[in-house]
Amino acid sequence: MAMLIDCLKVRIKPVSIPTPGSLSHANIGLGVGLLGGRYSLNPQTTTESEIKAAQAREELTRAAAAEEMNLMRKNTETGGTLARKNVATKAELMAEKSKNEEAAMMADIAKLNTMSIRFTKFKTLLDMPVIDLEQLRKLSWSGIPEEIRSTVWKLLMGYLPSSADRRDATLQRKRKEYEEYVAQSFGRGKATLDQALYHQIHIDVNRTHANIPLYQTPRIQEALERVLYCWAIRHPASGYVQGINDLVTPFFHVFLQSQTKGDVERADLSLVSPETLMEVEADSFWCLTKLLDGIQDNYTHLQPGITRQISRLKELINRIDARLYAHLQSQGVEFIQFAFRWMNCLLMRELSLRNTIRMWDSYQAEGTDGFSDFHLYVCAAFLVKWTEQLKKLEFQDMMMFLQSLPTQNWDDKDIELLLSEAYMWKSLFHNSPNHLSTQS
Amino acid sequence: MSKDDEYDYLFKVVLIGDSGVGKSNLLGRFTRNEFNLESKSTIGVEFATRSINVDGKVIKAQIWDTAGQERYRAITSAYYRGAVGALLVYDIAKQQTYENVNRWLKELRDHADTNIVIMLVGNKSDLKYARAVPTEEAKQFSTENGLSFIETSALDATNVELAFQKILTEIYRIVSNKALESENNERGAVPGAGQSITVAPTDTNAPKKAGGCC
Ligand SMILES: Nc1nc2c(ncn2[C@@H]2O[C@H](COP(=O)(O)OP(=O)(O)OP(=O)(O)O)[C@@H](O)[C@H]2O)c(=O)[nH]1
Ligand SMILES: [Mg+2]
Repeated sequence: MAMLIDCLKVRIKPVSIPTPGSLSHANIGLGVGLLGGRYSLNPQTTTESEIKAAQAREELTRAAAAEEMNLMRKNTETGGTLARKNVATKAELMAEKSKNEEAAMMADIAKLNTMSIRFTKFKTLLDMPVIDLEQLRKLSWSGIPEEIRSTVWKLLMGYLPSSADRRDATLQRKRKEYEEYVAQSFGRGKATLDQALYHQIHIDVNRTHANIPLYQTPRIQEALERVLYCWAIRHPASGYVQGINDLVTPFFHVFLQSQTKGDVERADLSLVSPETLMEVEADSFWCLTKLLDGIQDNYTHLQPGITRQISRLKELINRIDARLYAHLQSQGVEFIQFAFRWMNCLLMRELSLRNTIRMWDSYQAEGTDGFSDFHLYVCAAFLVKWTEQLKKLEFQDMMMFLQSLPTQNWDDKDIELLLSEAYMWKSLFHNSPNHLSTQS
Repeated sequence: MSKDDEYDYLFKVVLIGDSGVGKSNLLGRFTRNEFNLESKSTIGVEFATRSINVDGKVIKAQIWDTAGQERYRAITSAYYRGAVGALLVYDIAKQQTYENVNRWLKELRDHADTNIVIMLVGNKSDLKYARAVPTEEAKQFSTENGLSFIETSALDATNVELAFQKILTEIYRIVSNKALESENNERGAVPGAGQSITVAPTDTNAPKKAGGCC
């Protein structure tokens, strides 16, 4: 703990660290909540013994909630004409309600207002002839509305050009290119494919999101197989590696969602034309390609990227929660035993597809290293979430626990808290090699 | 900490073989008696345990289920160290997975302890009409190579219990004979009174509770 406090003293000034997007959005603001205001770790006023990082972490949830309320209130006061108008009319209706109901309703309205303000902000940005990607990133960090997620993701992944007049042509060209890839490989039937490669992809696609019926339909499975196969033969340095089958699905899911009404998981696929599905497939292929370009050495021979990430995670945990680190050590639990999968599948085995999609809003908003550097801090925040449980367990129970962490009921709120915590750790430790390497 | 940690012997066993042959489902069948239709491919390694009785002794099996894909070989082979048993699984309906058995044996020779007990397991025996590997052929191969052999189905549970029972018993016999033969504290042998054998996943991560050997 002392080590953490030390670095807080060095690193943290009592000014808030701006979380991207926190200024305009209620959900994020935790960095501010912990480091400023009530939970100030101002070195002038706080002695080491007064602070326990563990306690601080427990407070995070409350801090986040409090902060959110504050921001919401602020938003209703200052959140532009839209907010003021709604609040004014609603205020009359609420005149007779009790104080509590009033407050709850105010919060709801504030939330709706925040959402519609955010939506308007996205819309305004997206309608520009040349999109300000920096602004789009800032806005996206706190979550992207479902209606426009597909477009925003394509922009953030660098697949769609930021200037509007080039967009259609680019899309057409890319989709055509992909169709040619498919024709080259699959045009003469599956018998001409690299059988070992195709077999591996085939059995993995069969085991992809097997709990979601959509992914058990032959049409979807074949589409995913084509994406993975075409990607694999164009990237011989790594080739297809198990787990990449998971990574294509958030793209596919979001892009298909934009082509269906209501929940894509319940959509009537017969209403999706072959042409449309091919577009979804092509877009998924190119975005997957962009994603993997950034984390290529996670999948090349000996997977050096993952090895590096795991040793960084280890150092990080030692700094953040030395007691947990010591406990893992004393029980003989090695980081590679549980965190290998966290890196290889970007936590997709630990979280639902829905959770992952929300998480990827922020990953993409983080910029080029969202899926590598920022992911590392998310993993750190994720591990220390279970500190209390882990400390009670010995080797075997701990291994079992880490293999199936209880995240089944996680929703956006949980993900957003995780992301905020990760952001905080990144602010503290990133680009400060002394903090990451002075410990053995 | 938990009661099921009371055992006489702790044996580390690895599950290896090509991707898709059913290693994870064999493990699920043995440790939880379930076949998971929604199982995912294994990334890296997964871990489970179960205790059984042999000659009135409680044997705890600590089983490491490994990823089948070639790319993961470097990571998974680290888990062979200290293993006293290996279930080498192929799919009776897929010839290629049987042909690869030789490569897996070489993996074991290169990375595992020399006296590791190996059992060849032909899984998916329920796929009678799709059989590609004759039982006799695999049986003969096993005899020639000094392996035990069994056919199983994780799906309908045939022989799964028996397969684990057999390999754990075989390991137990070897270990207890060794214990009689010598007082040498060599790895994997000689539990003292009330002690248990620990076969650690690696040199540094012996589970504390199970300590007692070496
Ligand atoms: N018919 C039949 N199918 C099985 C049996 N065991 C497993 N399967 C199926 O075979 C596929 C692969 O099973 P897994 O247990 O995931 O295979 P694995 O060997 O662990 O594969 P990797 O983790 O990729 O190395 C799944 O679709 C299972 O449903 C069996 O005994 N009979
Ligand atoms: Mg498996």
